[in-house]
Amino acid sequence: MLKYLAKRGITYVVMIFLTTSAGYFLAVSSLKPALLEQERIPRPTPEQVANSMRLKGLDPDLSPWERYVDWLTGIVTRWDWGRSPNGAYINAEFGDRVWISTRLFLASIILTLVIGVALGVYSAARQYKVQDRVITSYSYLAYIVPAPIAYFLVQLGAININESVGDRIFFVTGISTPGLAPGWAQFGDMLAHYVVPTVAITLVGWGAYQIAQRQYLLDNVNADFVRTARAKGLTRNQAIARHALRVSFIPVAQSIAFTIPAIFAGGFFAEKIFAWPGVGSWSIDAISLQDVNAATATLAYGSVIFALGAILADFATTLVDPRVRVQ
Amino acid sequence: MSSETTTGATEPARHGVERLHVAGLHAPNDAVLSVRGLNVRFNSENGVIHAVRGVDFDLMPGKTLGIVGESGSGKSVTSLAIMGLLPPTAQVSGSVRLKGQELLGLSDKAMCAYRGNELAMVFQDPLSSLTPVFTVGTQIIEALTIHHPTMSRAAKEARAVELLAMVGIPSPKDRLKAFPHEFSGGMRQRVMIAIAIANNPRVLIADEPTTALDVTIQAQVLEVLHTAQEETGAAVVMITHDLGVVAGMADDIMVMYAGKPVETGGVDDIYYNPRMPYTMGLLGAVPRVDVAEKASLVPIEGMPPNLLHAPTGCSFAPRCPLASDACLDGEPALAPVAGAALHRAACIKSGSLGGSVDVHGVFAAPPVAVSRFDAIPRAERSTVLQLKDVRKHFPLTRGALIKRRIGTVKAVDGLSFDIREGECFSIVGESGSGKTTTLLEILEFHPDQDGEVVIGGLSNKQAADAKTKGKMRRELQMVFQDPTGALDPRFTVYEVLAEPLQNVGMDRPAIKKRIMELMKLVGLQPDHVNRFPNQFSGGQRQRIGIARALAVNPKLVVLDEPVSALDVSVQAGVINLLDHLRAELGLSYLLVAHDLSVVRHISNRVAVMYLGKIVEIGAVDRVFDNPRHPYTRALLSAIPVPDPQLERTRERIILQGDLPSPLQAPKGCNFATRCPVFAALPPAKQEKCRTLEPPLEAATGSRDQQFACFYPDGELDEDMLVVHETVDHHAP
Repeated sequence: MLKYLAKRGITYVVMIFLTTSAGYFLAVSSLKPALLEQERIPRPTPEQVANSMRLKGLDPDLSPWERYVDWLTGIVTRWDWGRSPNGAYINAEFGDRVWISTRLFLASIILTLVIGVALGVYSAARQYKVQDRVITSYSYLAYIVPAPIAYFLVQLGAININESVGDRIFFVTGISTPGLAPGWAQFGDMLAHYVVPTVAITLVGWGAYQIAQRQYLLDNVNADFVRTARAKGLTRNQAIARHALRVSFIPVAQSIAFTIPAIFAGGFFAEKIFAWPGVGSWSIDAISLQDVNAATATLAYGSVIFALGAILADFATTLVDPRVRVQ
Repeated sequence: MSSETTTGATEPARHGVERLHVAGLHAPNDAVLSVRGLNVRFNSENGVIHAVRGVDFDLMPGKTLGIVGESGSGKSVTSLAIMGLLPPTAQVSGSVRLKGQELLGLSDKAMCAYRGNELAMVFQDPLSSLTPVFTVGTQIIEALTIHHPTMSRAAKEARAVELLAMVGIPSPKDRLKAFPHEFSGGMRQRVMIAIAIANNPRVLIADEPTTALDVTIQAQVLEVLHTAQEETGAAVVMITHDLGVVAGMADDIMVMYAGKPVETGGVDDIYYNPRMPYTMGLLGAVPRVDVAEKASLVPIEGMPPNLLHAPTGCSFAPRCPLASDACLDGEPALAPVAGAALHRAACIKSGSLGGSVDVHGVFAAPPVAVSRFDAIPRAERSTVLQLKDVRKHFPLTRGALIKRRIGTVKAVDGLSFDIREGECFSIVGESGSGKTTTLLEILEFHPDQDGEVVIGGLSNKQAADAKTKGKMRRELQMVFQDPTGALDPRFTVYEVLAEPLQNVGMDRPAIKKRIMELMKLVGLQPDHVNRFPNQFSGGQRQRIGIARALAVNPKLVVLDEPVSALDVSVQAGVINLLDHLRAELGLSYLLVAHDLSVVRHISNRVAVMYLGKIVEIGAVDRVFDNPRHPYTRALLSAIPVPDPQLERTRERIILQGDLPSPLQAPKGCNFATRCPVFAALPPAKQEKCRTLEPPLEAATGSRDQQFACFYPDGELDEDMLVVHETVDHHAP
C-alpha cells in the first residue's frame, strides 16, 4: 500500500513540476508588470521602472528561460517563490491566503459532504415520497442557481435577521473585527463572521452529493446481493444499510476527493462576496495585476491540491472497495 | 403433492382470513410448507399484471418439488412471494404456511425470523448475488449472527469453515478471508448454498441455481445441492426451465404456464405419462443428448398469453393443437387424472391423452429434413471451410510504461478441421475453451494470421484487398446469440434485411422480391417487414437474424449459440427451422453451443475443445455414443437428461474444480489437472501425461473419430464418480 502511494506520489510530483513550469512560461511571456508601473502618477521613467523590477527579481530584459532558471533556483535552493510587482513577498502573502481559504472552506466542505451524503441516503430510502421529492428538488435548484446569487441571498437573509432583531448578530463580510481582546469576545466574533459564508457555501454545495449518493444507492437498493442479504434474514432497511450503502459509496468517495481541489482553488466568488481574501481571489487579482510569480504560485498550489485530492480518492476507494486493493 | 382439495364444497362462503385458516387445516399436518391459492398481482403502466394465479402445493419434509416453466410463467414470482421478497407494490393474497405458521401478511421484520433460518433461498446469478465488498467469511457469519446472536465468534467461524468444506471449497479456512471476486461463478454458487444452509433450514428454495453455469460446473453444483439436502434434511423447491435438471432430483413436479399450475404429480407421472398438451409439448421440445435416432423436435407455436387480461378459456388454448371450442369456455381447473392418485392436470381432454398418444403427431412436428448432400459420401463433397493449424496467442504483459511479457494466453492453439458442403459442424466446450476466439479467427480474413483459413477456396493469405475479403464474406454469414442485441432497434425488418443486399449491389425491385422470399423462408409473415424488432418475440427475432444471414446466399452460416437465449418451446421451432434450411438450401453450418443436446440433435460432426485445443473430433454419433477422451465423457455425463429413471441410475463423472486459467496450462496434457483417468493412473503412467502432449489420433475401427489421449481405456477415479440411487429404490 505504502509503496503504491509512494509511486503515485512521484507521478504527481512530476506532473506538478510540469504544469507549474508550463504555467510559469505562459505567465512570464504574457504578463508585463512594467506596463502597469507606467500608469503611476507621477509617471516613472522607463529606467526607474526597469530598475525597480530588477530589484524585485522581475527583470523584463531577461529572456523567459533566464528568468525561469532564476525563479526555479530560488525555489529549489531557498524555497523562495519570488516577489510581486508591488514588492510583497509571495511566501508571506501566500501563507496568509492559504490559511484564510482553509478556514473559509474547511468547515463548509465537511458539512457539505456529511449533509449531502446523509440526505442522499435518507431520500433514497424514501424514494418518491414527499421527503425525497422536496430534498431532491432542492438539490436540483441548488445546481441551477448560480453560486454568487445564492451567496447574495444568504447575505440578504442574514441582514434581515440582524435588522429584525435590531442587533448585529451576523457579519456578512470580513474575517474578524480588529482590535478585540483575545478570549471569549474574540471567539464569539469569529463565529459571527464564520456563520454566514459557511452556511451559504454549504447550502449551495450539498446538492451535488445528495443527487449522486441518492442515485448510486438506488442503483444498488434492488441489487441481487441486497436480496441475498434479505434472504438471510435482514430487514430491507438493514440490508440496505449494511450491504448497499458501502457499495454505493465507492463512486461518491472518488468524486469527493476530486471536488475538494475545485472548491479550494475555485472559491473565487465566495471569497469576493464575503470579503475573505483567500487563494481564489488572489489568483484572479494576480492576473489583473500582471503578477507573474503570484499567478504561478496559485497554479502550483492548485496542482498540489489536485494531486492530494487524487491520492485521497485512490486511498478512499481502496478503503471501501476490496476489489482494487493492491496486492 | 397433495390430492386434497383446497376448499370443501359444503363450506359456506367465508371471509378471506377465516377461509385461509380453514385451508390451512385441510393441509396435511406433516407438510413443512403448504401453499394455498397464492395470487400475485403487479401494477404496471398498462394495468394490473396477474403474475401468479392460484398456486397450491404441499411440500413434505426432505422431499424435492420441481417447479418447471418458461420465462413469464410465474415460477420465480411464486418463490419470491413465499420468501416475502417481492417489492412492497406487489399485491399477494392466499396462504403460505411454514410448519403451520401463516407467513403471508407478516411484516418485513416478522418475516426475518424465518428468512435465512427455516426458509432459505439460492438465487440464479452467483456473480451478482454476493456483496462484492465483504469477504465470504463475513457473509456466511452474518447469516449465523442474525439468527444466533449469542453464538461466540469462534463457534461461528468454525461453523463457517464446516459449511465451506461441506459445499466443497478447498482449504476452507483460508478461503474465509477471500472476497467474492476471487471466486469463479461455480464457487460463488457454492458459497451461496453454504449461506442458505447455514442455519439448517427446513425449506430450501433454489431459483434456477445452475442456469448461469457451464454444464460441468452445473453438475458440481447440483451435486452440492444434493449433499446440502442430505446434510440438513431440508425440503427443496427447485425452480427451473430445464426439464433435465429436475428429472433426477425431484420427487414431485409442478408445471406452470401463464401464472398457473397446469399439471402436477410425481416425477414419473409427469415425464412418462403427461396429460396436459403443454407438458407434452415441453417434453417433446427438448432434444436428447442420449438418443441417436433423428426425430424433429416438437415446436409449440405462438407466445404465452399476456397476463394483463384474465383468460376466459384455457390459457394454453391459442397454442394448443388439440384446442376445441369447449377449451375456450372457462379455464379448466386441476383435476385428478384417472389411474394415478396424485397426478392432476388442468385439461378437459386429459382423459384421452394416455400414454399411447404420439406427441409428434399431436403437435404436427415437421418431418425430418433430408439434404440432397446426405446421400453423397462426405469425402466426395467439396470443402466449404478449412482451418489449417490456426493459432491465436495473446501476450500477457505487466508494467505501466515499459510492458514486460510475463506469459502467453493460448486461446486457440493449433486448430485444424474442415467443413464439407451440406454438413453441420459443431464446436463444444466450457466457457474459456476458445470457441469464440476460433469463430473470430475465422471471420478475421487477415493475411498475418497464424495459420490458414480457407473459405470457399479463398485463403486468408490472399485476403489483402477489400475485394477478396468481400468475396469471402459473401460465402460466410453469422447468426448471433442474443437476437435482441443483434438487431438495430431503430431499423425495420425491411431495413435489416435490405442492408446486406444493398451491400452486394442489388437493385431495389430485386431487394424487395428477395426480402419477401426470405420472410417466407424463415416462417415470418411477409407483411410484417415494416415492423421494428421490439414488436417481435425472441424466437421471431432470431428468425430475422437467420434471414439476414441468408440474404446474400452464403454457403456457410456461423451460428454462435443461436438458441441459448430462447425458451425451450421457442428453441424447438428455431432448431427445426435451421434443420430445414440446411436441407433445402444445401447450407453448411458451423455451430458453437454449450448445450450438447442441441449439438447432438442438429450436427453431423463435432469437435470438443479444451483450453484452445481439440481433444476429440468426429461424427457426432461416434463421439457421443462412444466417447474416447475423458473430457468428452465427463461433458456428456454432466448433461442432465429429461428421463427420471435414467437420471437416477446414471453414473456421473463430476470433474473437480474449474477450467484452469490458460496461463497455468500444464506442459503435457492440458486436461491432466482435472482428468478422472489421470487421477487413477499409477505414477509411472501419470508421468507420460504430465510431460508429453497427446497428439490427435484416429480411434481404432472408426474412420471419423480422432482423440488426443494416451489412456482412453483407463479406469476412472472413484472419487469423481457419483451414482445417487439404485433402480429398485425409486421404480414406479
